[in-house]
Amino acid sequence: MDHAALRVQGIVKDFDGLRAVDRVSLEVNRGEILGFLGPNGAGKTTSIRIILGIFQPDEGEISIRIDGLTGRLLKERTGYLPEERGLYSDATVLDALVYFAELKGLRRADARERVLRWLGRFDLVPWANKKVEKLSKGMQQKVQFIAAVAHEPDLLVLDEPFSGLDPLHQDLLKDVIRELRDAGTAVLLSAHQMNQVEELCDRVFLIHRGRQVFYGTLDEIKSRDGEHVVRLRFEGSAESLAALPGVENLAVRGDRASLRLGRGASPDAFVRSLPAALTVRELSVTRPPLHDIFVRAIEKENHEAA
Amino acid sequence: MRLRSVIRWEFLRTIQSKQFLIISLLIPAVLAIAIFAATSADKAAQQSLREPPPPFVVALILAMILFMGAFLSGVMTLYSVVKEKQGRVVELVLSSISAQEMMAGKVIGLGIAGLIQVAVWVVAAYFVASRFTPISLAALGPVHWITYPLYFVLGFMLIASIYAATGAVMKDVQSGGASGLVGLVPYVPIMFSAFIIENPNHVLVRIAGFIPPFTPSVMLLRVGIGAAAAWEIALSLVSLTVGVLLTMRFAARIFEIGLLMYGKAPSVRELWRWGRMRHAR
Repeated sequence: MDHAALRVQGIVKDFDGLRAVDRVSLEVNRGEILGFLGPNGAGKTTSIRIILGIFQPDEGEISIRIDGLTGRLLKERTGYLPEERGLYSDATVLDALVYFAELKGLRRADARERVLRWLGRFDLVPWANKKVEKLSKGMQQKVQFIAAVAHEPDLLVLDEPFSGLDPLHQDLLKDVIRELRDAGTAVLLSAHQMNQVEELCDRVFLIHRGRQVFYGTLDEIKSRDGEHVVRLRFEGSAESLAALPGVENLAVRGDRASLRLGRGASPDAFVRSLPAALTVRELSVTRPPLHDIFVRAIEKENHEAA
Repeated sequence: MRLRSVIRWEFLRTIQSKQFLIISLLIPAVLAIAIFAATSADKAAQQSLREPPPPFVVALILAMILFMGAFLSGVMTLYSVVKEKQGRVVELVLSSISAQEMMAGKVIGLGIAGLIQVAVWVVAAYFVASRFTPISLAALGPVHWITYPLYFVLGFMLIASIYAATGAVMKDVQSGGASGLVGLVPYVPIMFSAFIIENPNHVLVRIAGFIPPFTPSVMLLRVGIGAAAAWEIALSLVSLTVGVLLTMRFAARIFEIGLLMYGKAPSVRELWRWGRMRHAR
């Protein structure tokens, strides 16, 4: 069965002879969060604008599937949290949100009811009749999020949703995003905080210089290089660790050490071979965090390009 | 449905703004006081006001009011576009509606507000003037009642769409640039109004009446004097309507492309290329 809510096929976009987006293809399924990652200027925002129908692609196609019907993009069924925040600053929170929901095709009364429910969810009811400009940055961020979701879109595109939010509100937002996913929304999430992406996303797409670098499940990406990261706290001498098979980049600092287990070096064999002279206090063996994978992939691409 | 929401939103935001209220009420008040002060001091002026004003005076005043209103409404449209561009609202709006809908909503919503403003001025001007001089609505024939509103509405749309496109390519409200001058083209005939009033049937004047940016002001004057033939009025309305539609189309393209560009203002050649493009970039 085909679950893809959004299908992007080979989109290309040139700006004054520079290729901003180069043959990008991806799918976002119903009830899935796809992480859309890439360094600044990689073509993320342009791709997102094409996906949302703000720009037309020079080549390629976007299709969206709602209620089993595939068709051209319906702007009413998409929700967008842009990276550059913007709301009518001199309008009241309620008026601005109701207006944006109306633009998505809701009736006024319906829009109002849903907006008020979301304002309640984000503890913003006392601010409903205040002007947007009177709100703190974090509150404006929540208002902006409501503008993206109040009409219950089938496809939700979030560009840097966590920037400017304190940890409490980041958690609240994460909960809400998960709820939406569980309710069947297809979510395209662009973020620079790799730990957030790891927590939320099922699959990720890494874009660099307008092109796909990798695209797959988190599991696939993490297992791709077959490497592991080891961190430990110990007593005794850690120097002997360097001699163990597969150990690379050993760094010791006080009672802490970190190292990388190269491709093919099994974590099990490593743990069993730990020297008796070393008393382990803490130990973690994990596949590399997304952050490291991201940085190394981009560095490799830059190196190859140079 | 969505267009109606945009029009409603733009209209309500405009009429609720302080600038709008000040311009609507203050300008006629100041003018009335100025006229009152001038005429009460000047015996000769008082004497001349006893006679009904010649029709060209009424036509000229209406043409001025039209352009004052269209200019202010155009500038409000421009400001509103630039502000939304600077405040980065544009991106969210365009993820819901097309640039054409956004522009049409602004042009119509702000246009209605502007026409209300003009109506207020016209009514105020009529009441103020009727206290000094035997002016009468009866002097206006059916030709005026039918054509004046059409020239007003079409003239408004022409000017507002030019200003909307201008706003879309501006970086901020300070940087006008050459593109701002385009919005002044429709006002050129006003500068030659003395010539038009004296030679309403001069071949150049008659031709200018069919050239869309000049049509509203030229024809308001010619119709006001009673110099325009019925076929000329009909043809001018047709050419103006076509001109408005073409201008709106062209402006909508520029609007669409300019809205999400935050770099330097484009050159006239670039604008010409954008206006003829099929897709936004």
